[in-house]
Amino acid sequence: MSGPGRAAIVGAILKKDLIQFSRDRVYMVLSIVGLVMFITVYWLLPDTVDESITIGLSHYDLGQFEAVFADAEEGLDVVVFESEEAMRSVIAGDAEAWRTDTGRILIRDTVAGEARPENAKKLSVLVGLGFPENFLRDTATGTAGTVRVLVNDDTPEEIRTAMVSFIREIAFMLAGVEMPITEPEADEIILGTDRMGAQISMRERMQPMLIFFVLMMETFALASLIGVEITHRTVTAITATPAKLSDLLAAKTIFGIGLSLGQAVVLLAAIGAFGAGNALIILTAAFLGAAMFTGIGMAVGSAGRDFIGTLFFTMACVLPLAIPAFSALFPGMSPAWVRFVPSHGVMTALVDATAYGAGWSDVAAPLGTAVVWVVVLFALGLGVLSRKARTL
Amino acid sequence: MNGAISVDSISYAYGEIKAVNGISFEVARGEILGFLGPNGAGKSTTIKMLVGQLVPQAGSIRILGMPVHGHSSEVNARIGVSFEEKNLYLQMTAEENLKFFASLFGIKRLDVRALLERVDLAGRGKDRVASYSKGMRQRLMIARALINDPDVLFLDEPTDGLDPVSSRAIRAIIEERAHAGTAVLLTTHDMNEADRLSDRVAFINEGVFHAIDTPENLKLKHGTRSATVRIRVDGEIVEKRVPLDQESVGDGLKGAVNDGEVVTIHTEEATLEDIFVSMTGRGLV
Repeated sequence: MSGPGRAAIVGAILKKDLIQFSRDRVYMVLSIVGLVMFITVYWLLPDTVDESITIGLSHYDLGQFEAVFADAEEGLDVVVFESEEAMRSVIAGDAEAWRTDTGRILIRDTVAGEARPENAKKLSVLVGLGFPENFLRDTATGTAGTVRVLVNDDTPEEIRTAMVSFIREIAFMLAGVEMPITEPEADEIILGTDRMGAQISMRERMQPMLIFFVLMMETFALASLIGVEITHRTVTAITATPAKLSDLLAAKTIFGIGLSLGQAVVLLAAIGAFGAGNALIILTAAFLGAAMFTGIGMAVGSAGRDFIGTLFFTMACVLPLAIPAFSALFPGMSPAWVRFVPSHGVMTALVDATAYGAGWSDVAAPLGTAVVWVVVLFALGLGVLSRKARTL
Repeated sequence: MNGAISVDSISYAYGEIKAVNGISFEVARGEILGFLGPNGAGKSTTIKMLVGQLVPQAGSIRILGMPVHGHSSEVNARIGVSFEEKNLYLQMTAEENLKFFASLFGIKRLDVRALLERVDLAGRGKDRVASYSKGMRQRLMIARALINDPDVLFLDEPTDGLDPVSSRAIRAIIEERAHAGTAVLLTTHDMNEADRLSDRVAFINEGVFHAIDTPENLKLKHGTRSATVRIRVDGEIVEKRVPLDQESVGDGLKGAVNDGEVVTIHTEEATLEDIFVSMTGRGLV
């Protein structure tokens, strides 16, 4: 009897793994439902960024205000309320402000359960400015007046402060007086791609997070498959045949990477990521992510003794790797140590490629870091699994 | 050494604990060697070394003339192993299990049905192993060990915990394979099974051999024979035990028979378990 070649043995183990995977409803449901859900969530998220700040204004006589506000800032959406009381109820959340196609502002009393107005768009008023009736005259004559800045508990502190400064500026303008400072000239330098008017939408920001979830699910599936081999000691049955432990490790590597990468590619294709950036870079990053998570799956599978144990170890090892994906959601807010998280390079390369259209030179550094981490984590996974298999 | 299995002074220790300590033996083609010993005696460690899953820290092993270590694929292609734990793929059917392992041996056309018929599982071949009873799983383990028509068979507790019918079926398969020329190494707790099946038995305890011989020779060398005579005396049954391994056997029997009305006479010989206990000072569990 001539023995089978190594490729045939690895192929046989792969086929067996596929049968096992397909027989487990938990993994099948998680994989298919998860993928559909992630794609659905992605397309439901807004793909545009509303950069304008909507502020409410109440005044008896607008006069020059309209011109002042129109010239004041780009992206400032002014909603003029008939009364300060109406504006107050909208900001407090007791009523809603809607703007009709003709520009008319309608107030809907939500507490009273009034119907939604037709052919109108709901406005999200962030802050309200209540000017006193004699504001124009008092300001012009140098008399002190009080402008009420109405905010709710969701309004960021930065916007509250900005509104106060804005009102002072308006006062100087109305009084025809220059501000008591020499205004410095601002030289705006944009580092990176100028995304003015085309900022990254929430949908785009979610891409790395969704890919992370796919990789996490398949890590769990691989870890569970390996866990079964270890706890049922089927590994020893395999190595009592012409198959070697290295064949088993090769099969698990191919299966783990194939499963994760396959799902990630389906997800990326379904959300149109390949059209948004360099497809080869995106594929490379996804491959490195799949290899990294496969290494983790091997280590976790060797440690887990049952379903719950495997789930616990998977979460404990994988959740910290989600931090760079969260950082992509909230850029500028992540601490410096995030760059030392193993998944940082992969996630950065994915974000840069899909959202900023980065090229190879742009992602060389994060991909290089990712390669180092992949080598470390993959070697760890292989080492732990082979050691476990040898000591059964 | 030219046996199908040739073991020369192998040792293995887990840290400070010596699991196997310098044992040597041979198993010829067509011979069944019973490996007897309590839990932790070193039986499973020995089998792991024989099938190449542990490397002996001392000594050497040759299977079918080939050194096991360094030639594990060639050796494993010609051996069959049934492990103590039922390491089958539970979510796969019996047929899928057998086909998978056949593919690891490079067997493209396996008569799965014939193999399953041999272990009386032909009607359940398409059922998932998870639905099998313990006995059915054990029979499937035996079928798996026979996939490659092995020259050497390692069976670790093949009938442990099985019902008498399943045990008898498995014993019949083992005897059939031995008659066909397969060398069989069998570990068991069951002394009767070892006595019935084995051409030779080896007593192992704390990693060393205490004896290795045919069951008959072990009994002759280390056991005692006796006759139990039950007689009725004044309406009551009285038992008298007469040792047979002494010169005055006839006088002893005559005396026992003449003391009353003979009801029954039974001869008894030492069991392997008695001999094991007397040699090692401990039982088999």
